[in-house]
Amino acid sequence: MNRHRGIAAILSVLVMGLGQLYNRQIVKGLLYMAVYAAAWIYLIPQLGTAIWGVVTLGEKTQGFQKVGKVMVRVEGDHSIYLLISGLITLFVFAVFLILYILNIRDAYWTGKRRDQGEQPAGFKQSWAHLTDKKFPYLMLSLPAVGVLFFTIMPIIFMIMLAFTNYASPNHIPPKSLVDWVGFETFTNLLTLKTWSGTFFGVLTWTVIWAIIATVTTYFGGMLVALLVESKSIRFKKMWRTIFILPYAIPQLISLLVMRNLFNGQFGPINQYLSYFGLGKLPWLTDPLWAKVTVILVNMWVGIPVSMVLIMGILTAIPKDLYEAADVDGASGLQKFRIITLPFVLFSTAPILIMQFAGNINNFNVIFLLTNGDPVNGNYQYAGSTDLLVTWLYKLTLNNSQFNMSAAIGIIIFIIIATLSIWSYRRSKSYKEEDMIQ
Amino acid sequence: MKKWLVMTMIAAMFVVAACGANNNGGNTGTNANTGATEAPSNNAGTAGDGEEITPEEGATLLVWESKEERPFIEAIGKEFTEKYGIEIKFEELGAADQVNKLISDGPAGLGADVVVFPHDNLGKAVSAGLVLPNDFYEEQSRSENSEVAVNAVTYDNMLYGYPRSVETYALFYNKALIPNAPQTFDEIVEFAKTFNDPAANKYALMWEVGNFYFNYPFISTGGYVYGDNGQNKDDIGLNTEGAVAGVEYYGSLKDSILPMNSGDITYDIKKGLFTGGTLAMDINGPWTIADYKAAGIDFGVAPLPSINGQPASSFSGVKAFYVNSFSKYPNAARLFARYASTKEAQLKDFEMTGAIPANKEATADQAVQENEIVKGFVEQFNQSTPMPSIPEMGNVWSPIAAAFSDVWNSGKNAKEALDNAVQQIKDANNGAAAAK
Repeated sequence: MNRHRGIAAILSVLVMGLGQLYNRQIVKGLLYMAVYAAAWIYLIPQLGTAIWGVVTLGEKTQGFQKVGKVMVRVEGDHSIYLLISGLITLFVFAVFLILYILNIRDAYWTGKRRDQGEQPAGFKQSWAHLTDKKFPYLMLSLPAVGVLFFTIMPIIFMIMLAFTNYASPNHIPPKSLVDWVGFETFTNLLTLKTWSGTFFGVLTWTVIWAIIATVTTYFGGMLVALLVESKSIRFKKMWRTIFILPYAIPQLISLLVMRNLFNGQFGPINQYLSYFGLGKLPWLTDPLWAKVTVILVNMWVGIPVSMVLIMGILTAIPKDLYEAADVDGASGLQKFRIITLPFVLFSTAPILIMQFAGNINNFNVIFLLTNGDPVNGNYQYAGSTDLLVTWLYKLTLNNSQFNMSAAIGIIIFIIIATLSIWSYRRSKSYKEEDMIQ
Repeated sequence: MKKWLVMTMIAAMFVVAACGANNNGGNTGTNANTGATEAPSNNAGTAGDGEEITPEEGATLLVWESKEERPFIEAIGKEFTEKYGIEIKFEELGAADQVNKLISDGPAGLGADVVVFPHDNLGKAVSAGLVLPNDFYEEQSRSENSEVAVNAVTYDNMLYGYPRSVETYALFYNKALIPNAPQTFDEIVEFAKTFNDPAANKYALMWEVGNFYFNYPFISTGGYVYGDNGQNKDDIGLNTEGAVAGVEYYGSLKDSILPMNSGDITYDIKKGLFTGGTLAMDINGPWTIADYKAAGIDFGVAPLPSINGQPASSFSGVKAFYVNSFSKYPNAARLFARYASTKEAQLKDFEMTGAIPANKEATADQAVQENEIVKGFVEQFNQSTPMPSIPEMGNVWSPIAAAFSDVWNSGKNAKEALDNAVQQIKDANNGAAAAK
């Protein structure tokens, strides 16, 4: 006696909700049917256009037509909008497919229960089951749909852009169309001399910068934290306040001020240096010095964060460890090396990786302080201190090279994702999760 | 059974309606686009014959303009609102950034209805289909404005802009420090020998040495940007013999006039020194006039000194209003663009911000003619070169600026630096084609 499950499942395959109706679950069946009807009326007819749009990226360019004495724009296909709306339709269709599968599964399981001689659940019962036992799923489904449309879709959109020729001056819709070009953008980026020279130069500096910036702020912060928290120091609160100040000022202001402070000719810093008979330094105008300057300024901005972080961890180290060390006659350095440092490192390793990833994308310091300058004659649209992310910004907003910036965006994403996952899995806090209970 | 069916239908319709709203949201791109074409075309058709175009009902306009022009646009906008009852909203956006912003915001319907940009951006704007031609007022615009200005805002034989002002840069000199403007750069070098005193921030001459716009005179001694009057992207004249000589001379000026790195000279610093009375000369555009006047400096404006015995040609630009082709109210926008670029409006602009009129009658106006400062600019304008307006102009700025900075800061060989820049511009112009 297992005919119900088969019939219900087949009916549900034919028309969504039919299996439920057959199982005498009227409300549920009707709901499914309504979704089905909506899909047929609105979704399915658009599917063709959506696929056409995504595949061809439009066929008709925008033109102008003379009407009386004035020119009127004649609508063309906007490749980018076709791509976005096509993606949305496909995503909605994917959601529909999931519902469709759920519907078949549900019809099958209910049919099976009927085969076993049970009564199919009424709507009230199903609803109660959903809001009670399956409550987390119900609640998670909303954000999941949100993530699908507001996170995953834009990422896929960006990835797709990298495979088009969407760039100024020849491929800006709607006047001209955008085409799929496969890996050409990546090939250009890696093999075309002007692009690859810039790319590898900027990439190298980005990595060097991220390492130095992370290490300097981290150990700078640790040093300050240890000094402030050391037993002999008085007015701890005052010191903390002083050291947190740089973080409290918006970077938008402080960095622009710094930019003037470091002006090689008229900035106060060099004025002081020459007042004391020292030479003026080309803080922001020499490629090497500019790099030193951004690292120095980044320490000023970043040390407070690490300081606060490490201060918090220092208070968590059990005092008896130090007392025991004192009894054993350990020196201050030994205590630091054997107790403090491992403890702090262990607790902050994941954060350290996050800071590293953050520094790869540290837009503010570079953009506001140097704007990527000093200019570099060997780079395409980039200066000596440009990071990948500021270069990407310039390519997008100043030069409308959207496909190239999308490609760089993907590469940044891959670098950060790999580094983060790899180093996190290697860190002790991942391997020995139970060190701190 | 019947009841059951009715219930089904009702329930189905309910959900369909709800999902329908959802679906529309997903496809606003295509729907909105097709909708937008119909409305303006109908309106435009009827509005063709009158003297003045009929603005759309209930139109409100958004105008992008740069900071310096705020007073003019606000004043003219107020007049316009009083006359036509069309509200004008103003948003501050630097002229040079407008086309880039319009590329992303225009098709999305977020761009300003009336925009202003220098003519070197026109090719880029036209090739992206962002601006409507100046059709309704074409004859007036053509006949009333100077030929240079009209040609500059014409692209592929189609007039796009409503010319508002012409601009170039010239030599500002502080009469208290140097009574007569020098005729040659060599004279400035001589003057600098006695005048320069870095400790007191005293300098003979400053200009933004890292900015190609202001450095063009050094190329103009035998070089050019693009051939065929700036129309041929494959003929780049930035590394000709004459240009190399000019740039070599430019490099020599660091030691003799301006001993500092290019990055240290910014617009604000220059302005501060000139108004502070320690900078004798400044190469700058008409947009600074108001600030310098307000600072109470007695200054004159003269054509640029000659370089290597040749007259220095500057870059000239024509600023014009354009109508965003995605505007919801293209006719009202045309009306405003016209209104803000008539002779009267240009004179008003001249009065309020010092912009030099493009309108022939306005240039001949007494107020303009008697103005010593404007005379200097007009003189320089007559020996200027309009910036190329082809889209590939956008690829020139940063490579060539880098070449100039390299020559200035690190004394790089001029020929090498220019060759390198030309190669980069070529690569950028040919894009993917170069890889094949």
